[in-house]
Amino acid sequence: MTVETHALLATLTVLAVAVIVRLVRRQVLKAKYTVLWLTVGLVLAITASVPTLLDRVADLLGIWYQPTLFLLLAIGFLLLLSMHFSYEMSRMEKRIRALAEELALLRGPGDDPPDHDRNHEEDGPAGEHPGA
Amino acid sequence: MVRTAVIIPAYNEADTLPGVLAALEAHVPDHDVVVIDDGSTDSTANAARAGGATCLRLPFNLGIGGALRLGFRYAVEQGYDRAYQFDADGQHDASQVSALLAGLQDADMVIGTRFGGDDGYRVGRSRGLAMGLLRRMVGQICGQRFTDTSSGFRAFRRPVLEFFATEYPVEYMESVEALVLAVRRGFVVREVPVVMHDRSGGRASTRNLRLAYHFVRLLIVLLAGDPGRGQRRRTQS
Repeated sequence: MTVETHALLATLTVLAVAVIVRLVRRQVLKAKYTVLWLTVGLVLAITASVPTLLDRVADLLGIWYQPTLFLLLAIGFLLLLSMHFSYEMSRMEKRIRALAEELALLRGPGDDPPDHDRNHEEDGPAGEHPGA
Repeated sequence: MVRTAVIIPAYNEADTLPGVLAALEAHVPDHDVVVIDDGSTDSTANAARAGGATCLRLPFNLGIGGALRLGFRYAVEQGYDRAYQFDADGQHDASQVSALLAGLQDADMVIGTRFGGDDGYRVGRSRGLAMGLLRRMVGQICGQRFTDTSSGFRAFRRPVLEFFATEYPVEYMESVEALVLAVRRGFVVREVPVVMHDRSGGRASTRNLRLAYHFVRLLIVLLAGDPGRGQRRRTQS
């Protein structure tokens, strides 16, 4: 790895870690994602600061083009993560549906559509059957 | 006396709803109509109440399956003995309701079929092809022949209502899935020929590309085995 690439990697890593730390400090992430992203940041930092580490591990695994190892790990990680998010989203959608039903039943038959409600809906991007 | 609920899912159907409610009032005045306002942005809810129906308003659009499920749940909670779905866009004919309900004498669930009726309902070519394929697949899975798997003119006895109140599929083209679910659950499902109108308002809720996507999705769901089993397990946990 040349000095330039190393510098580039280091910069990107510092940026990524900075964003992660910022998100964590503002406490906008759930605890489990905090842990997850902090780990990711740590791994990135280690890989960037010890450039030979990746090469050595790649050699150990018999991967002759070292960046492949990084890409492999990165893609695998992202794939798992997006699968996890799909699962979470499905579960959340199910709960939101149940809540919507519950709300409609609680509102009961006597509830008149308030005007501000409808105005709000017209402002929003929602409209054509998003559920389909 | 047998209490009957009419479940009408409605999404922006304020124009056609009054006519539909009036027709129901004329033909079946002793049935209780509940309109599920599926997040409409027009005055559907007001039209429903003006027409003497009960109206439940969903806070946002859930799609027809979600609206129906709420309707089933409402019917169960209010202690109805049977219920039937009815379209808000004027596709269904209130004069056919008695024929549909008569089918419940020897079945748990009755589907009003557009085919085999007097009016010779016709569909477009690709749609007809898709429906034909669905029909064959459903026939294979159910071990029973259905001529109109996607008809939304259906009546249910209470046990089916209780089942659908929690298990009704909520994805688009849910009617086919629901039919298969009911048969797999061991309910007796039969068809009754009825006359239907062309939709008096709104559009057919299917554009070709979307239809194609959902058709494929449905094939996968049907082929992947019992589409409801996984859901059922998850709801229990």
